[in-house]
Formats: sequence, structure tokens, C-alpha cells
Amino acid sequence: MTQVPPNSGGKVSRRDFLKLMAAAGTVMTFAPFVDWGKFLPDPTGNVAGKQKLELPDGTQANVKTFEVNSSQAIIYPKTDDAVLNKESFRTWQFVRLPVELGGDKNDVSAFRVYSMVCLHLWCLWKYWPDPGRKRGECPCHGSMYDMETGKAFAGPASLQAPPSNVLPRLDIEIDSNGDIWILPPTWDPNKNGIVGYGRYLNV
Amino acid sequence: MGATLTYENSLVRFFRWVYAGLERTIFMGIKFTFPGRFVNPLGFLGMLTFVIFIVLGITGALLMLFYEPILDRAWNSVQTINNTIPYGFHIRNIHYHASNAMVMLALLHMYYQYFSGRYKIRNEILWVTGILIGTLTILEAFTGYDIIFSERAELAISIAASLTNSIPILGPQMRDAFFGAGFHDFILRFYAFHVFLLPITLIGLMAVHFPRFLVFDVPMVMAVVGAIMLTGGVFPVDLGLRFDPSTPPGITVPEFYLTGLYAFLRTMYDKFVTGVAWPGLFIFTLLVIPFVDRYKKFSWKDRPIITAIGITSLAQILVTTYWGYYIDPDIHKALLERLVIDPIFFYTVMVLLVPLSFGFTYMMIKLAKNAEANAKLQPKKAGSKGAINISQRWLYTLFLVLLGFQVYLNIATYYAVLNGMKNYSLFLMGVIVLVFAALFHLYRYGRAMAKAPPPKPTAPPAAKPVPVSPKPAPGTPGPTAEKPLASPPPPKAATSQPPPQIPPQQKQASTTPQQSYSPQEVKGASNAEIPPSNQSIDNDLLRQQEINAEKSGIGNGKPTHRI
Repeated sequence: MTQVPPNSGGKVSRRDFLKLMAAAGTVMTFAPFVDWGKFLPDPTGNVAGKQKLELPDGTQANVKTFEVNSSQAIIYPKTDDAVLNKESFRTWQFVRLPVELGGDKNDVSAFRVYSMVCLHLWCLWKYWPDPGRKRGECPCHGSMYDMETGKAFAGPASLQAPPSNVLPRLDIEIDSNGDIWILPPTWDPNKNGIVGYGRYLNV
Repeated sequence: MGATLTYENSLVRFFRWVYAGLERTIFMGIKFTFPGRFVNPLGFLGMLTFVIFIVLGITGALLMLFYEPILDRAWNSVQTINNTIPYGFHIRNIHYHASNAMVMLALLHMYYQYFSGRYKIRNEILWVTGILIGTLTILEAFTGYDIIFSERAELAISIAASLTNSIPILGPQMRDAFFGAGFHDFILRFYAFHVFLLPITLIGLMAVHFPRFLVFDVPMVMAVVGAIMLTGGVFPVDLGLRFDPSTPPGITVPEFYLTGLYAFLRTMYDKFVTGVAWPGLFIFTLLVIPFVDRYKKFSWKDRPIITAIGITSLAQILVTTYWGYYIDPDIHKALLERLVIDPIFFYTVMVLLVPLSFGFTYMMIKLAKNAEANAKLQPKKAGSKGAINISQRWLYTLFLVLLGFQVYLNIATYYAVLNGMKNYSLFLMGVIVLVFAALFHLYRYGRAMAKAPPPKPTAPPAAKPVPVSPKPAPGTPGPTAEKPLASPPPPKAATSQPPPQIPPQQKQASTTPQQSYSPQEVKGASNAEIPPSNQSIDNDLLRQQEINAEKSGIGNGKPTHRI
């Protein structure tokens, strides 16, 4: 390294060339293994294709039957494993907004699906339809969520910096029968958000 | 048996054969010393930490037989271990308290090496690996109390995950890679980290960190283990409430080694700055400090700035650790109001602690130097440094009393176990182990006494001119100097020369020059070879005696290589 290479008229010496070959070979050998880092994250939350929005009673949610200003806890993505289905991070609050927020319309704008994991310390909040409340409330430290946007407006979660003050959400679709489907999400703070960590509110 | 019992019975021959076989192994590179007398434990805190690590490994392996790292079973399985499995309570409590003890011992070890200046001059690798081991030890302890999955564990996991997430650029990827997605992954992964990945990394780093000179002091090791068991009996760790996502958790604080960080987090300032950048800066400072410390001397008194930095860090650690624990007890206030620490107040205190610590250090160094100067003026008290001398008769009496106490404790433990008094039996077992430590020390003391050479005449035989040999032959003054478990230092009162003026904490390190550093000197000290001096014979003899004392006592008396 510290040796001054002999002046060979701009040519690479045989030894240096050999070293270069060895280095290139080593890089080529280990290059494909970099992608093996993908082993570490858990991919089971990724779902391809749209899924039925299944209510706790096992039926698919329908625009015609789901009451205005009401909510249900749903599991997404649902598995065959009862333990995994109890997982907070798979628990979502399916809300039909109250009339004043446009819940009486029969299109997707009347519905919201938010992760129930509170952004503060991961308790499970839920929707309170009582007059004067009509908001999501966390039982643990009193964080409150606005149902139109999913943004925390009171309590410790509201003090957290973005994206940790807006609930992750799922996008839905309504077919011609009025049945509701969950579109495949992108777990990214700029898209559907990340469960337990939040979402950027892109307005 | 009695008739055939010779020194070289078959068992002894077998051990000799095994020992000879070890010649080809890595262990022969390590100099293991079992001290023949009491040695200041500050010098081998690293070994104590390692022993506790082994205790944790054994108890942890036993807990693995019953613990289930599954979302809906983790807490229940710990409950089963604690309440149902025979001795599960004991194993779990030893494991828990040993983890706290390991972190505490590692911290003490680090600060001792820091203030005694032993981290520099060819010990940088030991120091840097030590800091990494310390960081991983805290992670190891942290993952351990998280996999119980109580309320407190859930809060800790959520904070750890959000801190990881807050790291710029790579944070979300790191969170995905290390934590997975959801509680089920968190528990399973923390378990994998806790029982395999972190310990195996720790062991690998320890292999680098181990110096070649090790002290294994049986009484002190047993005393620490006994103290852990005793603490487990008095303060048994509770299970905590099972985490339920729809019930408000009580207010919990993390373990003592994280409350400092928790205090920073409670200022509610930016997560990355308070939870990642500050501790990262602290660890980084520790990593580079031996390269920053350019003082040529070792003692804390001669390195004022470095000592002051150390005192500052200690002051800040103590204050933040307490602050992290303290939660306003007024339950009428809102939760947030009780928890949140005013950042301006907090950081003002942190900044104020710096000049205070520097002033305190300045005062301590002044006082210490004054005391040193005064001590030099006073004639040194001849003989013992306040050692307790017990006659042989009292030694036997004490031995018998302790043995009787052991018998009583055993009976008491038996009944405690029979009656299901788990914490009381754990407490008693801790006392038994402590008594064993005392017994072992007495045995060691008695052995040394039996082997001690008869008191020397007051004037050393200096009649004939002794040729100054280039290498002092080992074992000149005493017949037992070569044996590892040998005599205590020959009585200093017998010599006409007053002992050299060395402060007590440097006593065991007496061969390391304190005044100045030069590579040759340190090298010489590591081999305990004193270059031939052309001083008076009296002085030579004295040094020889000192060397032998070091050999019989704590190996080569080379402090820099001790963990």
C-alpha cells in the first residue's frame, strides 16, 4: 500500500491486476446475498388482491345493512391461527361515519377503516357513537382521534410528531351489490401508514 | 481408603494427566490465579461480572425449559414457573437479580478501570470491547424483562420499537428487520435475541475482552452469588399484570439501568434526540475516551480533566436515574402532568452538573494531594495495614461456629421449603452461600498461616556481598514462594527498611510505576521482572519480598491485564 508503484508507463502491474481480479471475485461472490436481508422483516402482513371486509359475525359488510354512526372491530389480514387473529396489530376499527360527517352517503366516503392500535403506547382505542363524542377514544391514556381523518386531537398521541399522530387506514371498495372489499394496502407512512407508528396526512 | 491414600493416588494422577493435556489448549495462555489471601475486589470486578453471566446462563437455560415465547402464553408460562414449578420461583429470582447485578458490576468495573487509567496504553482493545459488551449486556437485560409480556414489558417494547423507528433513513427498515410486525413477532424475536443472538455475540466479544491474567477469588464470587440470592429472598420480583390492550396499564418504570434514559424520554422532546442520540453520544464518548486521554500518568489525581468528565457522567447518571424513577405521587393530577418532565428545568440541571462536577473533582484532587503530602511527612506506621489477625485457636472456634450455623440454616431451609415459604428459603440459601464464602476465606487464611515461614530476625543477613544477579531467582527468601497458593507477604515489620510510600489502592499494583509512563517500564511490570538495581542490598531484598508477595497473592500483580 505504501509502496510507490514502479513507473510502468501507465500500465497496471500484473500483481495489481491480480488483486483487482480477486477483489472483484469476492464482491461477485457475496453480492447476491445482500438481498437475503429480506429474510428479516415479517411479510405475512402483505396481502395481494382485495379481501372481503368480514364482520365479527362472519358476514361481509354491506353498505345497505351497516348502520350509520356505528363501528365494528375487524381482523385484517385474517389468518387460520386463532392466536394471530387476537393480535392487536391485526385489529382494525371499521366505522360508518355519523350523518354530520357524511355517513349517510352510500359510497366509500361514508366509511373509514383505521388501525385500532393507539399510536401512543399501543392500547386498543375504539369508536364511541354517543352524541357529543363521535370520536375514537383510547382507554389507557385518553388519546382521542378524529374519525374523518384519523388524526389525534387530544391526549398524548396528539402531542407526537407526524407521522405518529395519524392512524393508519385501509382503503375500501364497494361493488355493485353494495358489498365492501378491502384493497391491498401499502405499508408506508405516505400511503396506508404503518400499524403502531402512524401515517402522514396527505391533504 | 485410609491405608492407600497417598499423595499420588489415581485421582490425583488422573487430574495431572488432564492438566498435562491442557498444555495444547488455549487455556494455557491464560494465567489463572486463585488468590491465597484477601484481594481488593475492585481489581477483578470483570471476573465477577463474568461469573454472574455464567449464573445467568445456567438459570436462563433452566427457565427455557418452561417458558413459551408465544403471544397468549408468555405471561402464563412465567406465572407457571413462578407459582407451580418446584424451585421455579428460586431460579427466576436468581435470574432476575443476577441480571441487575451483572449490569451493576459491569458499570462498577468500567468506572474503576476509567478512574484508575487502565484503559489506555495497549489496553484500548480491552476497553472498546468492554464498552460494546456493556451495551449489549443492557440490551440483553432489556430483552429479558420484555419477554414476560406484562404491562410493563409491553410499554418497554413499544418505546424501544418507536425509538428504532425514529432513526433517520434506516430506522423503519431496522424496525422491520429486528422487530417484525406485531406483538407475536416482538415476543418471539426478543426471545431469539435474548437466549441466543445476544449471548453468543457477548461470548465472542468476551473472548477478545479476556486478558491473559485472571483472578478467581472463590470467597468473593460466592459472596456475590449469596448476596443475589439473599436479595431475591427479600425483594422477590413480581410478575406484573398480564398485558391487556383494552385495560389502562399502571404507571411503570424500567429497570434501574434504563431509568436515566427514561427521564430523558419523559421530557417529551424529540424521540430520536432524547432516546437514541443522547445515549449514542454517551456510548461513543466512552468508546473514544482512551484515545482522547493523552495524560502520561495513570492515577485519577494526575488526570484532572478526564477524572472530571468521569465524575460529571456519574453525577448525571445518578440524577437522571433517580429522576426517571420519580413520578409525582399526587394522583389527582392528570397522568401526563405527573409523567412529563419540564425539558428546560431538566436540561438546566444537566448543564449545571458539569461545573459542579468539575469543581468537586478539583476539590477532591486538592484534598487527596494534601493528604498524600501529609502522609509523607508522618512516619509510616510499621507493620500491618489494619489486618485482622486471628490466633489458630480462635480460627478453629470460628470455623466450628460457622459450621454449626450452616447446620442450623440447612434445617431452617428444609422447613421453609416444606412449608412453601419460597422467598424465605431463597433468603436462607443466600445466607448459606455467604457463610460458605466466609468459611472458604477462613480456610484460606488458616492455610496461609500454617505455611507462613517463621518470623525472620530483625536484621537481614547481609554479611557477605551478594552478587547482583541480572534476573532475580524466584523463591529466594521463602521456601514456598513458587506455589500458587502460598504464604502471605512476609511481615514487613521484620525488615529494617520502611515500606515504599504507595497509597493503599496502588498496593496490589505496586510494580506498576505510578509516576511516569514508558513502554519499557510497563512491559517490565507485566512480566514482574524488576531490572537489576544497583541500590543497597536491603532495598533489593525488600523488592524481592514484594515480588514474591505479589506472586503468592494475586498473580503477577499486573493490574492492567485484569478484567
